[in-house]
Amino acid sequence: MAPSAAETRTTDARSRLQLIVAGGVGLAAASPILRALLGTGAADAASKSEDLRILQLVLLLEYTQVALYERALNEASLTGELRDFAQIALGHERQHLAAVKQALGSKAGPKPRFEFGLKTKSADAFRETAIKLEDIAVAGYNGQATNLTKPTLAVAAEIVSVEARHAAWVRAIADEVAAPDPVDKPMTASEVAAGLREIGLRTS
Amino acid sequence: MHEQGDFDRFLHAVDVDGAIAETSHQRQLVLSRRGLLAGALAGAGALLLGGSEARAASGLSANDVGILNYALVLEYLQASFYTEAERSGALSGKTAQAAQVVGATERAHVKAFQKLLGAKAVKRPLFDFQGVTEAQQAFLKTAVAFEDLAVAAYKGQAPKLQSNAVLAAAVGIHSVEARHAAWVRELFGVTPAVNAFDKPATKQSINHIVASTHFIVAHPKMKARSRPQYTG
Repeated sequence: MAPSAAETRTTDARSRLQLIVAGGVGLAAASPILRALLGTGAADAASKSEDLRILQLVLLLEYTQVALYERALNEASLTGELRDFAQIALGHERQHLAAVKQALGSKAGPKPRFEFGLKTKSADAFRETAIKLEDIAVAGYNGQATNLTKPTLAVAAEIVSVEARHAAWVRAIADEVAAPDPVDKPMTASEVAAGLREIGLRTS
Repeated sequence: MHEQGDFDRFLHAVDVDGAIAETSHQRQLVLSRRGLLAGALAGAGALLLGGSEARAASGLSANDVGILNYALVLEYLQASFYTEAERSGALSGKTAQAAQVVGATERAHVKAFQKLLGAKAVKRPLFDFQGVTEAQQAFLKTAVAFEDLAVAAYKGQAPKLQSNAVLAAAVGIHSVEARHAAWVRELFGVTPAVNAFDKPATKQSINHIVASTHFIVAHPKMKARSRPQYTG
């Protein structure tokens, strides 16, 4: 069977991210478009090494999302729309995680541990945690937009709006205002790290 | 993804009549008359972010002014659409509540862009929403199309912005449009987040889709329903 449009899109975004961040020098030499994508002149603070540093944070974020949804689907007896949400969001987060891992290659940090406590044990606790985590994801990606090189920003933008859709969806399920601010407030890297720790991320 | 087909059919129900081309022609005249490069803008990021410490560069490039004006037209379209739907009284329940929040946000985006662009801001086009603001299901269907469009449009332009202050504000608006898209999709009963990666759209394709709706008109709408008819 031919790959679906969604699968093609995923492969496309993943390979672009990998190419942009991890090198792809040989290919770049062969293709003027890829050469342009990879670029040579860093116009400002954004650089490929800065992209790599930011992607390590994104890796932790995506690991946390995958782990939260996997455990909640196993442990929280989710039903109805909340279960649909968790299943669909998990599928997306797995694809984001795969893309980021592939982009980082051997530089990818180890898989972290998680202590979610009661957060994955009931539907109510999971729903509230998912709202927090998706809001952190949106704020975290937004907070790094000006630090990323433009090609990496383009791929990050394809991910952040999906995180924002998840955030709004789970908020709507909870009967909360899905878009509370006219402009989403960004978070710094350390704020994101602290937020993830609070949810259950353990890196040591 | 049957809903995508529905939206395409809906959006392409009428042929392109050049209304958007006329609008953009008027926009170009306005812009060149006022001078694209003139003027300095302070506090762009702070303005859009609602008074944070972010400070904009003292001026915006012609590139960024062009992108901001393009975004402003999309915000005008959305703000007018929600305002008209709220006033029509056709919305109820959760949809009415969402429309109020989303409408207020789109109006805030319009004001922020107008203030940021000052004399360089394009004028609000004339709209005729052809009845889609007067019935809840038609409203929701159109809202889904508009919000998905806005997400793709901002995503297409964000990496092209030169000012970091404007970029910081634009990504914060981009994710809010994505929240809106998911919210109205949920209310309409279609999957709020279909793919793992949302794709961008070019200015050209967005303009084509907006033109195909005939929602932007060259002349004021004849308000047959709300005004008495005068024959002589």
